[in-house]
Amino acid sequence: MERVKTGIPGLDEMLSGGFLPQTANLVEGAPGTGKTTLGMQFIHHGIAACGEPGLILTFEQFPQQYYNDAARFGWDFRQMEEEGKLRVIMTSPEVTSADLEQVGGRIESLVKETGAKRILVDSLSHFERLDDDPARLRQITYAFINGLKREGLTAVLTRESHALLGEADQQEDKFAFLVDSYILLRYVEIESAVRKAILILKMRGSNHDKGIYQVEVTSRGIEVRSPFEGQEGIMSGSPRRMVDSFVEAFVRH
Amino acid sequence: MQRRRRAAESDLDLTGRLMEDMDPDLLHFLRTKVNSFVKWDLVRFFHENPHTTDTAENVARYAGRNVETIREELAELAEDGVLERNKLGDMVIYSLSSSPEVRKLLSQFVEASADREFRVKAIYHIVREAR
Repeated sequence: MERVKTGIPGLDEMLSGGFLPQTANLVEGAPGTGKTTLGMQFIHHGIAACGEPGLILTFEQFPQQYYNDAARFGWDFRQMEEEGKLRVIMTSPEVTSADLEQVGGRIESLVKETGAKRILVDSLSHFERLDDDPARLRQITYAFINGLKREGLTAVLTRESHALLGEADQQEDKFAFLVDSYILLRYVEIESAVRKAILILKMRGSNHDKGIYQVEVTSRGIEVRSPFEGQEGIMSGSPRRMVDSFVEAFVRH
Repeated sequence: MQRRRRAAESDLDLTGRLMEDMDPDLLHFLRTKVNSFVKWDLVRFFHENPHTTDTAENVARYAGRNVETIREELAELAEDGVLERNKLGDMVIYSLSSSPEVRKLLSQFVEASADREFRVKAIYHIVREAR
């Protein structure tokens, strides 16, 4: 089956080759875990290695911020914009949602103009202010995601997690049903050091790696490293060695 | 009375002297389109974010301005052809004009604004117009 590669070493293997085409893929994590970097890398790889132009839809940061952040990894987003392979669009969720519901809207025009195949939406969290009613919010988000798919785009949607360490609260699952894949980035504390972990919670229509892997942001972008081994409770933020759990459960009693 | 008239004339002379070496197209743009500091901020914002399409409320948020302050200025920039004003559902949205001429002129204006001497002249002009 055709795959949309992220270009992130280790992640494509976890995704059984990459995202499925024209899917919405949620990347959730606390600030600084690398959500936006992951999304930018996905866009950069598409343009630089796959000949697939991309869009970045930002609801908060100015385009300049993306140019600067990308430059840290050697990705020249400004040049890509000048070449017509990338568009960084600063807008709001309400305008984008309405735009996608009309024929010949701004996003449709930009997709036609650039031939975009990929999009980074940074971040989906901003949709939460559109409506207090969870059912209505879900409807708006669903329509937005469908609009992106209708344009033939494979999307990475970032989402802020409020929990720095440990499991996110149940409220945070409200978008999980709407997307095709759900990737979690988490801080974990192991032996007095904070590391980052990546896990694919779900991937609709495809097999995927169920392991929890270490992830690092290097000068080349994000890299997925070896899995966490011999520990449990990784996603709680404070893992324990499995042998300790075994001793506690079976030996001390 | 005579002294005041002489001062006003001298003021005009100074303005004339300050503006005479300015690019005529930029001077026209400044005089007719960017005749307030709010507009200056707004055109710079749209120059830096050329793909932004949004409501006055959101533009105000991005530009760090009060929406009541910018609503009229956005409308005027749209009337003057610097911005485009469209309806999207029940929202009024603004975006940068797609005209290559306007974009080129705006680009020249923002680039020229990086020069202190140009800024001083432009500020002087805007302050004078605001009187």
